[in-house]
Order: sequence, then structure tokens, then C-alpha cells
Amino acid sequence: MKRALTAAFLVLVSLPLLYAMSQLPQHGSATSPAYTHIAPRYLERGPEEAGAENVVTDVILNYRGFDTNGEVTVIFTSLAAVFAVLLAGREGDERSASEPRARTTPEVSPVASFVVRLLSPFVAIFAVYVVMNGHISPGGGFQGGTVFGALLILATVVLGKATAEKLQPARIRGLLQAAAPLTFIAVGVAGLIMFGDYLAFPKAAALAWVRTLWLIVIEIGIGVGGASIISAIFWQMGGDR
Amino acid sequence: MSQAFDLLLVGLLIACAIAVIRTKDLLGATIIFSAYSLVMCLIWLHRGAPDVAMTEAAVGAGVTTVLFLVTIGRTVRRER
Repeated sequence: MKRALTAAFLVLVSLPLLYAMSQLPQHGSATSPAYTHIAPRYLERGPEEAGAENVVTDVILNYRGFDTNGEVTVIFTSLAAVFAVLLAGREGDERSASEPRARTTPEVSPVASFVVRLLSPFVAIFAVYVVMNGHISPGGGFQGGTVFGALLILATVVLGKATAEKLQPARIRGLLQAAAPLTFIAVGVAGLIMFGDYLAFPKAAALAWVRTLWLIVIEIGIGVGGASIISAIFWQMGGDR
Repeated sequence: MSQAFDLLLVGLLIACAIAVIRTKDLLGATIIFSAYSLVMCLIWLHRGAPDVAMTEAAVGAGVTTVLFLVTIGRTVRRER
């Protein structure tokens, strides 16, 4: 009975969805709105209208900013899910771990250690460059944040978790992990107060610098949040052991 | 020429995908999967999407591989 009801419910839900699908323009069709006027407009007026030379940044942070807002929230939620799942069984685990289970931290080869120490500053500068230059060249918060997160993972493996964790003070770690949605919401609310719409960017030509500034602020937020989340997942999975 | 390069990459991609499924050694499968991500990254780049290519290289080939390796380190290496 329950199964039949479930099946009936699924069919009932899928019918309108399938109907909506059938109304979508043919995949790849030249007459779909995406090709007739949306993409040309983005390409023509994106840089002046949305505030970034890189049209991809224009689209994801300005034209489709609301989508990206949801997206960074999803990434933060994934971190919350990882914490929820991995911390659930942690209580008993911690007790047994406090037994003299010798932490077998394997010796890191001096070559790998030296190379990582040597490269770290350059990787960090590259990450910052990718974040800060995302509105001009390919890149942005997601990419730069991931590069920095990878650097944190490398530092954890070679220098130990304690050293790597110093880069994220425990007091503000939660804030850092939530940085992406928080900056997005902050910019969105600023737009609501100043220009009357959530995530509204100023339209006047004279305020082009504000548009660019807001894009950079969001990029930095996404970068910081991304790096913190990646390293937090790695640490939570016990990657340092 | 450009088309041939695309075909080569897609062929490599499919070969990697099949190899990942068929490899019983999970460590090997993880490394092949990271190669898959690199090929995918080249395809993105060749199709003119450098932004996506950067994400694919950093997340697909880098972070995902590390997380898989951590998981293998804490579980078992052979598929049962």
C-alpha cells in the first residue's frame, strides 16, 4: 500500500516536470533565448554594465548573483553535513583514541618538506592573485580559494596540523568557514538598502568602481570561505593522521 | 586538427572512465580518476572555458584526489 502510494506520488510529481521539460527549447537550438539575445547582450554590455572585464565573473556574480548566492550556501551546507556525519560517531572514538594509541605520524621526507616550504609563499601569492584578479582574467573566488585550500592541505601534511591551523585562528574559524554566504548576504543587503533590491548593483556609469569593488569583495569572501571549508573537511576527515 | 585533438581527448576521457570502474585497486583507481580530471580540464580549456578548467584542475585533480586518498588511508585499499 505504502509503495503504491509512493509510486503514485512520484508519477504525479514527474508529470508536470516532464511537461515543463517538453516546453523547453530544443537543446542546442539556435532560436532558444540563450542564443538570440541573452548571450549577445552579456558579451556586448557585460563589462560596462556588470563591472568586470571577465564576462564569466559578470554572469556568475552579477547577472546570476542570486544563483551563486545559493551555490555558496550549498557549499557551506556540505561542510555542515560533513561535520554532522563525522562528529556523530566521534564521542566514543575520541575516548578510545585517548588511550595510548601512538599517533603514527609518518616521517616526511626532507625533500618534500623543503619543496613545500619553498613553494608555499608562491602558491599563496598565486591564490591571492587568482582571487583578486578574477574580474579581469580567468579565475575568481572559487578557483583561488581552492588553490589556497590545497596549500593548507599541503602544509598540514608536511608541517603538521598545528602549524597549518595557526592560519585560521580558532576564535574566528566558524566565521571564516561561513565567509562566502555571509559576504554574499552582506553585499545583497547593502544593495537592498542603497539601491532598493537584494543584490542590486548600482546602475549609474559613474559608479562603475562600486560595481567592481563589490565583485572583488564577493570574490574575497568566496575565496576565504572556500579555502576554510576545504581545509576543514580535510581536517575533519582526519587527514592529518 | 582542432577537431582531431578534441576527439583524442574525449577518447582518453572515456578510456580513463572505464579504467576507473574496472580497477580493483582503489589507490590506482584514484590516480586514474585524477588523470580523468586533468583530461577533462584540457577539454574545458580547449573549448574556451578557462574558468571551469581552473576549477576542474584544482578541485577534480587536486582536492578530490586528496580526500579519496585520506579515505583509502582510513579504510581499505582493495575493492571487495
